[in-house]
Amino acid sequence: MMVLRIAGRVLREMSRDRRTIAFIIVAPIIVMSLLYFALRADADTDIAVVSRGPARLFDYEMKQALADADGVNLVELAIADDMPDGPGLDQAIRAAIIAGEADGVLLLGQSFLPDRFAGEPGDIYLYLEGSKPLVSADVLDAIADAMDELTAALPVVIDAQCSNDCANSVNNKTINVEFRHLYGSDDYNATDLFLPLFPPFFAFFFTFVLAAISFQRERSRGTMDRIFASPVSFLEVVAGYVVGFVGFAGVQAVIILAFVFGLIEFEFSGTQIGAIALCTFLVIVVALLTGLLVSFVAANEFQALQFVPLIVLPQVFLSDMIWPLATFPRALQAIALAMPLTYANRFSRDVLIRDIPMIQSGANLLMIAAFILFLVAVIGIARRRMTV
Amino acid sequence: MTSNGPPNPLVVENVVKKFGERRAVDGLTLSIEPGEIIGLLGPNGAGKTTLIRAIVGLSRVSSGTVRVFGHDPVADRRVRAQIGYMPQDLAVYPDLSVRENVAFLAGLRTASGRPDPDDVDRALDAVDLSERQDDLLRDLSGGMKRRASLAATICGSPGLLLLDEPTSGVDPALRLQLWDLFRDLASRGGSILITTHHIAEAEGSDRVVFLRDGRTLATGEPQSLLDRYNAPDLERAFLHAMRDGR
Repeated sequence: MMVLRIAGRVLREMSRDRRTIAFIIVAPIIVMSLLYFALRADADTDIAVVSRGPARLFDYEMKQALADADGVNLVELAIADDMPDGPGLDQAIRAAIIAGEADGVLLLGQSFLPDRFAGEPGDIYLYLEGSKPLVSADVLDAIADAMDELTAALPVVIDAQCSNDCANSVNNKTINVEFRHLYGSDDYNATDLFLPLFPPFFAFFFTFVLAAISFQRERSRGTMDRIFASPVSFLEVVAGYVVGFVGFAGVQAVIILAFVFGLIEFEFSGTQIGAIALCTFLVIVVALLTGLLVSFVAANEFQALQFVPLIVLPQVFLSDMIWPLATFPRALQAIALAMPLTYANRFSRDVLIRDIPMIQSGANLLMIAAFILFLVAVIGIARRRMTV
Repeated sequence: MTSNGPPNPLVVENVVKKFGERRAVDGLTLSIEPGEIIGLLGPNGAGKTTLIRAIVGLSRVSSGTVRVFGHDPVADRRVRAQIGYMPQDLAVYPDLSVRENVAFLAGLRTASGRPDPDDVDRALDAVDLSERQDDLLRDLSGGMKRRASLAATICGSPGLLLLDEPTSGVDPALRLQLWDLFRDLASRGGSILITTHHIAEAEGSDRVVFLRDGRTLATGEPQSLLDRYNAPDLERAFLHAMRDGR
């Protein structure tokens, strides 16, 4: 009997907290939808085939094999057909990938078939953007599928032009796929590609939780009222909180940065560490202000805690951190542009993996700074509305 | 308002504060002279805290005016330096010491953020917490926490003290002691607005305002109210005022 009474009390109280009810319903729907779109990532890997010299004879088979492979979208690059194999073509392919025309490009060069005829395995060049591990993995899956069919197709053609011995020996040799990464190299492992994104994300996550709960506590025990009832200006209060918390969040950021740079296996410079530290600092300020805003909206610490998945998880899915943003529907891609971690991740990837100078990726930092100004303005409005 | 002299510490005129359709404060008018203690009395929900929050600038009035030393405390927040506000909640930091609490909260009223250490000493002395000033608030009893909160409010002798239920949850001996302190502060020129639902204790006020449903039921010196309602104490006078007000 007592169990039912206690259960009844729990249900009654919870059902009167409308925001909690909304969270209970909305949060799983949002999170599961995002996960669904993230995992549905198929048919979205754009691969182009470029062939020169006698290899053009295989264009059709090659493309057919790729088109038949699961999850491949065969695309054409806007590269002139008569551009000869050489540095010019190499540059053109790289430019096409940077421009987003394809996720990966297979080049069957001038020497592929002659090498093959001469009894070599023959080299096919695979161009990959290289800074996004999941895209690279998708491309590799597709190529592996296609390569099986291609290898099976080759001897039929070769048979007509080569002796039986030759054909057999070639037939037994697997085509050699040589990687040409635009950024990083095939020495980079998945952790090298993910680790650079750790500092902004974890700094955001921990700082946001710390801030949301602390500010909410300050509100619920009345000390925030006391501060706002004083002559101190609103901006001074916000700045004071941010500076105070940055101390703690800063210590945490140093730990995160040391961990990440300790584990990354590729070479990096002091400037790169500085750039990532600056980005992390800006993200910390964004997280503090987001926490402050949440504390204004949440009625208690319980509700503040519920904001954590709602604020943090969409940024895990949509900030191009693990799953490529292109995987998601356009509406969600637009939402990603309204998330600070999207820009922090772009910046970290540019600076650490793509070796792009900090100044060239600086627009991303400016966007994060813009979020700071925006949040201060929104908190000001929220505060004003609470005063009414 | 006193004519030609300095502006009154507090003037509230026709203040209405609405929450949706409900009028928490409904056309209230009152003013405080320097050195005067006004007891704002009424049951829970009478509008006492709502009025105090409007005076201190934490909420905007729906209509009417609030002036603190001649200034609007919402528009001109500098005047809040002259307000010592003690919220109904304890509103102190449990992980700071008594002295750190007083210094921080009183420092909010100063330009430098640091109150005069002598002022802090005097405030701690006034609430009898000098001996415990280095103890963390979380280690103190409820009554001591309330005294620490009061010390932060009176530190530096702000001209207007707004004390929201300062004696709530306080034992009778301490309550008398606190009223002695309020009288002492007033005798040195401080103006005090005290809310309480312990109506009887307000006999130490210079003037009493009976409040109900956001409206003034009666106002006057305690003795005159006792005489008017022919009551032995303020509690009964309040009940009579309520009956007459119906």
